[in-house]
Amino acid sequence: MQQFLSILTFYRSFVLWSFVVNIILTIVNPQIFSAVITKLLLTVFVWYLVHETGAKRKLTFYKNLGISPLKLFSVLFFVDILITIIFLILIKEYI
Amino acid sequence: MILELDNVELNFYNRSILNGIYLKAETGKITGILGSNGCGKTSLLEIIFGNITPKHKLIRIDNRPVFKPLYLSKSVKYLPQYFFLPSLKLRAIFKLFKVDWNNFILIFNTFKAYTNLNINKLSGGERRLIEVYLILKSKSDIVLLDEPFSHLAPLYIEKIKTILAEEKATKAIIITDHLYPHIIEMSEDIYLLKNGCSKKIESLIELEDYQYLSRGSMR
Repeated sequence: MQQFLSILTFYRSFVLWSFVVNIILTIVNPQIFSAVITKLLLTVFVWYLVHETGAKRKLTFYKNLGISPLKLFSVLFFVDILITIIFLILIKEYI
Repeated sequence: MILELDNVELNFYNRSILNGIYLKAETGKITGILGSNGCGKTSLLEIIFGNITPKHKLIRIDNRPVFKPLYLSKSVKYLPQYFFLPSLKLRAIFKLFKVDWNNFILIFNTFKAYTNLNINKLSGGERRLIEVYLILKSKSDIVLLDEPFSHLAPLYIEKIKTILAEEKATKAIIITDHLYPHIIEMSEDIYLLKNGCSKKIESLIELEDYQYLSRGSMR
């Protein structure tokens, strides 16, 4: 549970960007499959950015809690995709 | 528990950083690492933690080789030189590390007013103190400290040294800092890094012989 909460603190800094992507997806192509693929590619891109820049240092906090980068970004992806799917279903329901 | 690091070879862009390392740390002891700037002290700690993958290395715990990054075992805590805690309230950070906030403010009572404060609102020295305390006090078998005394006020350094002396009973502690008198005073074993190799220091006068300190410093 502590690990999951700490991963959520990492996700916090991406929430706004994720929401912006959700809005764009809703306008361009509100299909769940394309949303999954888009979010997967974006997660890989964020992983690359963190790994190749000074932001890599941020991972030390998570490693101290026993969380590997793979686990961090996997949970990040699944949390984000869950929120995205709920968002798209609700949007389809009401619009 | 005995941690051994052996056969390390680390190169950066064809430049050899570490090439003949042997280091042993054990529960109940503080192991100090000394060396001039750029000699590879930080790299050594990062290799043990699992942040850096060198060309060769052998890590053994109680004579058993460890192949996965050590941080995955959750048995090691690493204090890097840089600030590593995310922007969160102090109480939340203590909860994530499973460290008692009330015990902390008993020792450092000036922090009592900061309970609901975000760590980013603290000064550099105060943040450093929180980081050192969390790394020392959270559950682990091995503690790696990279310059724990930098940015700290003398009074805080004394308190941290007291905590170090308590924590070493159950942990193997490896420490490096340019404030060498503290390292010499606290460490049971001292290694000097020079020319990529480690040398166990048996007599403090060797620190002068190896030109880590100027002549007459240890007299």
